[in-house]
Amino acid sequence: MGEDRVETLNRTQNPREWLATVLVWGAATLVTAIFSWLLGDILWHGLSHISWAFLTAPPENAGRRGGIGPILVSTALILGVCLAVSLPIGIGTAILLAEFTSAQSLFGRVTRRSLDVLAGVPSIVVGLFGNAFFCKALGLGFSILSGGLTLACMVLPILIRSTEEGFRAVPVSYRLSAASLGLSRTTTLLHLLLPAAVPSLLVGLVLGIGRAIAETAALIFTSGYVDRMPESLLDSGRALSIHIFDLSMNVSGGDANAYASSLVLVVLLLAINGTASWLANYGLHRKIVTI
Amino acid sequence: MYRSAEVFWHQIFGSIVAFLLVSFLGAPGSAKAQTATDQLSGKLVITGASTLAPLIAEIGKGFESLYTKVRVDVQTGGSSRGIADARQGLADIGMVSRAMKDEEQDLHAFPVARDGVGIILHKDNPVQTLSDEQIIAIYTGKITNWKDVGGKDAAITVVNKAEGRSTLEVFLHYFKLKNTAVKAQVVIGDNEQGVKTVVGNRNAIGYVSIGTAEYDESQGVPIKLLPTGGVNASTETVRNGTFPISRPLHIVTRTPPVGLAKAFIDYAQSKAVHDTIKQQYFVPLAE
Repeated sequence: MGEDRVETLNRTQNPREWLATVLVWGAATLVTAIFSWLLGDILWHGLSHISWAFLTAPPENAGRRGGIGPILVSTALILGVCLAVSLPIGIGTAILLAEFTSAQSLFGRVTRRSLDVLAGVPSIVVGLFGNAFFCKALGLGFSILSGGLTLACMVLPILIRSTEEGFRAVPVSYRLSAASLGLSRTTTLLHLLLPAAVPSLLVGLVLGIGRAIAETAALIFTSGYVDRMPESLLDSGRALSIHIFDLSMNVSGGDANAYASSLVLVVLLLAINGTASWLANYGLHRKIVTI
Repeated sequence: MYRSAEVFWHQIFGSIVAFLLVSFLGAPGSAKAQTATDQLSGKLVITGASTLAPLIAEIGKGFESLYTKVRVDVQTGGSSRGIADARQGLADIGMVSRAMKDEEQDLHAFPVARDGVGIILHKDNPVQTLSDEQIIAIYTGKITNWKDVGGKDAAITVVNKAEGRSTLEVFLHYFKLKNTAVKAQVVIGDNEQGVKTVVGNRNAIGYVSIGTAEYDESQGVPIKLLPTGGVNASTETVRNGTFPISRPLHIVTRTPPVGLAKAFIDYAQSKAVHDTIKQQYFVPLAE
């Protein structure tokens, strides 16, 4: 008790400790303040324009009036294509890297290094690649399909690395116990390792979706600029982020709807993050326990 | 409210199923432009200048409502891209927000509207006029302080447009400048971005589309357009041809347009779209 008191006094009197405390608290406050300001600004300018009609109506007069209905549908479709492609490939590659190759092997190292490089490629470069490969070489043109596939290229490295870490974090004793019980490798994977790796997979997924849904540069050359309600995956469809960019930077008088669209985007992101963390905490917990 | 929500989700679910079906059945590029005797149908792909994109997209919507089987897809990327895509046949029509160059005479160009490029300052900047020589000196870095042109003692922030932007070419052409000679502190892309840069910096000078600047000024955005060569910068002086820095907005094709493309170009040049052009803060061509 007495010693504790002495230490507390020492800490508050020592200028270095005091400075460190102030800096740490200052940094945390600054980050929170910036986020609150950003959110507050978007809420302040955007909230009054949000209505059911805004969410469902097509844009009018280059987006100054009207809503974002077709744009929301296009965004959802682009994201859907992206996930439908990247999830199976991502989980497959992660399993190969974590379970079937050793961390030191040449193949594993080369694959991991290329994934890390790929994760750092600027999105405009991915966009130009997507335009050259999916739109022109594969002849998909400006389409939701091209956009979704391009986004999948961006999301895959994040997804694979995160999922792989999840598999690697499962203790070796799990695999040894499973093997000693005579379980096949597939059974071990499906019922033991995969559920245990799901939280990391979800983290990768949330990061990936976050990057994908906020993407502008990679989409302007692939899924395109058309703000009509898409009729097929081969139609061009404008994503929400491109709509916001165009309204704020290219269309005079588009600011009000740009703010409202930004608010929708932020709410979507928060909802996706919330769902994922809820799933990680509650939805999938039981599965690991029962098996 | 509830009913409309239900109908909306119903439609979305229905359309998702339809997409999957259509996209697996329909091969890419199967809907190419074709002329029917009475009714036009098909898809028209238009790419190019971002300045023109909102206008042409709106004209496209008007065209679609006339010919319900037609789809007009507008993509952006800059005038150079409009030229390149039209030449390679990647687009049916290209958008070019400047006069055509000599080496582009292989393309067929059709003017649809005009746009003026005006010099803008922050509203609080006491400077009311700048001569052409002063603007050249500012943009080449020979004058770097506002006090040398009758303003406050403050460093000038020069805002220039990015390479490939037509506004840049129009500006350089009028002032007979080379882009390599320009000493800019800020390089920007689209017009609204130029306005926002000047709003955020009281000592900045920039140049943007007059339509954009005029609209923002009328909405109380703190900027002002400077006269050039003694002529006020306004959509009115652009229309009557007295304002010196102005540019035509073109749509171009590789071959003489026929069928769908011809119908669209005729529509885009008709009086029917004049209101749409004014709505996008451009100036319709004089009759």
